[in-house]
Amino acid sequence: MSDLAAWLVLAPALALLGALINGLFGRSLKEPLPGILATVLAGATFVLSLIAFVALQGRDHAVVDVMLWPYLQAGGFDLSLGMRIDALSVLMMLIITGVGSLIHLYSIGYMHGDAGHARYFSLMNLFLAAMSVLVLADSFVLMFVGWEGVGVCSMLLIGFWYQTKTNADAGRKAFIVNRIGDVGFLLAMFLTAATFGTLSIAEANQAAVTSPFGSATLALIGILFLVGAAGKSAQLPLQVWLPDAMAGPTPVSALIHAATMVTAGVYLIARTAPLYAMTPLASAAVAWVGAATALIAAYAAFAQTDVKKILAYSTISQLGYMFVAVGVGAYWVAIFHVFTHAFFKALLFLACGSVIHALDGEQDIRRMGGLGARMKVTGATALIATLAIAGVPLLSGFFSKDAILAHAFTSVHLDGYGRYGLYGVLLLTAAMTAFYMFRWYYRIFAGESRMDAKTAAKVHESPAVMTVPLAVLALFAVLAGYLGLPEFAFPNWIAQWLQPATLGGLTTVPFEHPALWIEWSLILASVVAAGVGLALGWWIYAVRNGAVFTGLAEGPLARLSRAGAGFDAAYRAIVVGAAEGSAGGVSVLDRDLVDRGLLGLGSTATILGRLAARLQNGFVRAYALAMLAGVTVLVLVVAWLGVRT
Amino acid sequence: MVVFAILAALMVIGAIGVVTLRQPVHAALSLVATLLTLAVAYIQLHAHFLAAIQVIVYAGAIMVLFLFVIMMLNLRGDEPPSRLGWIRPAAWIVGVAAAAGIAVTVFSDPRQALTAAELTGVFRGSGIEGVADQLFGRFVLSFQLVGVLLLTGIIGAVGLVQGKAAAMDRNVAVGGTRTSDGGR
Amino acid sequence: MAAAPTEAWVALSAALFAIGAIGVLTRRSAILVFLSVELMLNAANLALVAFSRQWASAGTAVAMSGQTVVFIVLAVAAAEVAVGLGILVAIFRDRVSTDVDNLSEVRL
Repeated sequence: MSDLAAWLVLAPALALLGALINGLFGRSLKEPLPGILATVLAGATFVLSLIAFVALQGRDHAVVDVMLWPYLQAGGFDLSLGMRIDALSVLMMLIITGVGSLIHLYSIGYMHGDAGHARYFSLMNLFLAAMSVLVLADSFVLMFVGWEGVGVCSMLLIGFWYQTKTNADAGRKAFIVNRIGDVGFLLAMFLTAATFGTLSIAEANQAAVTSPFGSATLALIGILFLVGAAGKSAQLPLQVWLPDAMAGPTPVSALIHAATMVTAGVYLIARTAPLYAMTPLASAAVAWVGAATALIAAYAAFAQTDVKKILAYSTISQLGYMFVAVGVGAYWVAIFHVFTHAFFKALLFLACGSVIHALDGEQDIRRMGGLGARMKVTGATALIATLAIAGVPLLSGFFSKDAILAHAFTSVHLDGYGRYGLYGVLLLTAAMTAFYMFRWYYRIFAGESRMDAKTAAKVHESPAVMTVPLAVLALFAVLAGYLGLPEFAFPNWIAQWLQPATLGGLTTVPFEHPALWIEWSLILASVVAAGVGLALGWWIYAVRNGAVFTGLAEGPLARLSRAGAGFDAAYRAIVVGAAEGSAGGVSVLDRDLVDRGLLGLGSTATILGRLAARLQNGFVRAYALAMLAGVTVLVLVVAWLGVRT
Repeated sequence: MVVFAILAALMVIGAIGVVTLRQPVHAALSLVATLLTLAVAYIQLHAHFLAAIQVIVYAGAIMVLFLFVIMMLNLRGDEPPSRLGWIRPAAWIVGVAAAAGIAVTVFSDPRQALTAAELTGVFRGSGIEGVADQLFGRFVLSFQLVGVLLLTGIIGAVGLVQGKAAAMDRNVAVGGTRTSDGGR
Repeated sequence: MAAAPTEAWVALSAALFAIGAIGVLTRRSAILVFLSVELMLNAANLALVAFSRQWASAGTAVAMSGQTVVFIVLAVAAAEVAVGLGILVAIFRDRVSTDVDNLSEVRL
């Protein structure tokens, strides 16, 4: 492999190696050896990603295709497994391996003393391998392998402390809901193969742009891929698994359910950008699913009391933003938001974990408060992350979120599908985001302490192995945004970097370029929305100490919010209820028909046996008759056969 | 054919008599009649030697032995009702079915027999020579074994009775009765 | 006058055999059972003789072997009767009845 970038192909293999070593021999390795091994291997994959990134610099339309194995050649259908190393996949790999390595490092501290130490790191490495395969795959089939792989790792890591039933249940729920989405993915694959005759992503994209614009087939493929993406990225109506997934260890939530796995859906749509560019209907579906999810998830975050659940709903909401971005055709913007989101969301979760670690497992924000004084690094980095996600200007979140809003407003692709409505929803959600994130920060780190004395005494800052990643992530949360400054006035590196990889020059998605004052007004609107949210939060929690709207806090709106906008209850009633009902019916059938029938068979055997016992009566004549009868039967058979011929 | 019909009728009547008659002596005599009729049938079938042997051995020796035993044991022949009352109709049904089956089989594949003149040539008179040829030729082993069998039979029969007789004599000698169960 | 065909003789033999079998099953006195057994044996002999006549077309040796077998069967029957009656006498001399149904010890 003469091309340095091609070495990236080794990344999944390295991670897999770590998973195998820790999985097979981990229990005999003493702490912290498994963790160090896993982190080193994760770091190695990051180095490979960096090398690939540097190697791709300066090349125009840089693409490296590495063919791994000619898997299937049947007639005209050719499917080989290979990896595609281009701007998009390298950027994703940088995020995955970079944030992943930091989280591995953090986990050494967080999982210290846990009985399943080695298993954890084995699974984390396995996850890295699967996610790498997903991102690097050049065909839908290989991507699906990675897709399923991350689903399995997610389930295993969510249910990591499986000894508690609710944790195992949460893992199962995640997997099952993912599976539902996967049906959509599979159907889309079948349709793609049937329509375009290929399962290679690049070829499918090329074939798509030659299809009639807005055809029904393209729309159907797009919607089916949306179903798959919605399952993986926790969008409506398949978002129910993500809040429950918080049952897993916090670093898992940080890596899988914030920075990487959940962005797989967005990645999928960005990869198939040319296809979506040809079907406004499917793109509109994507955008509106994202917008609705963003709004409802933000609403659900309002009344949550668990620190991690708030962040979970926040993740769902931000993913909704990314879906809107790919929906309106701003593919690089979505990936940009993936990029910035990875940093500040992972940071939020890791800070959360730091707090949970310090409070010995406490997760209810009603029993926290004032921790910023004692946990300086955690508190400071958490504040940076909060401001970033709220969209405070000059931090990363501001730039990426604003880009989404601007592109939604100026989308031509979705003109006629309610782009202004999209914009409005997102703007409102931005304000809501600022509000509930402020609540999150304030109730944990600021204000008066609501802890009991014993817990309060235990509060301490986390060890360096945990705070260093926090600091690194905070740095990126501040600076990452500058890679994607608003295009109309500033140089934008990431757009140039990603454009060839997403649309690949096959087609273009037009956007309006309104007057300068409109552009600046849009930016101003974002700032105002963030400010309103933060101010409201400040007023309610800092100034009035939560005493305002107490009636609202206990009312039906709040309860609905706390219940995740009622989706879990609805699913339980419709799906689980139906399943349990039919299972009950079948069990009655089983008990009364099958079991009774079998018992009846048994008693039949007894009856037959008693009848047969009567033959052994001891009377010679009866035995003789039996013998004669047997012979007679034979004679009659012979007679019948003889007569027939 | 006429001869056959008469012989058949006689034999069947005799057989039914054996099976049905209440008194043992009557049944034995009925069997004798059947056997004699059978001997005539053998003559009809060109087995003259066998007919003679049948009369001498079967009707003459075996049946006599039967009658000896019947009279010695002084059998009454009453047959009180039995628990196995269902056997009688069952046996008749099964028996008739068996016979019918065989008859049907045989009649479904008729063969042509030789004429009487030809048969006489084949059987060469009474057939003694033919039987002797086979007996000392092909069946010589069976012949010897039959001799052994008869010897064994004689010894066995004598031995069966001897033991009992000795026991009865001892009984009498001790002052008991001739019968071994206390003269009930 | 045409001789009766072999089938007729065999059918007659079957009838005798069946009647003998019915007698075996139906009679309760041991002696009478024995008589029925003798009837069955003779029915078999009749069939053998009838077939021996049938095979005359295949030559003297074949035909005569049928009669020879009958001869042997006769001898065996004689021996059998002797031993059988000896057993009967041995069992039944001291018992009141010769009811075979009383001999119902042969069972599982």
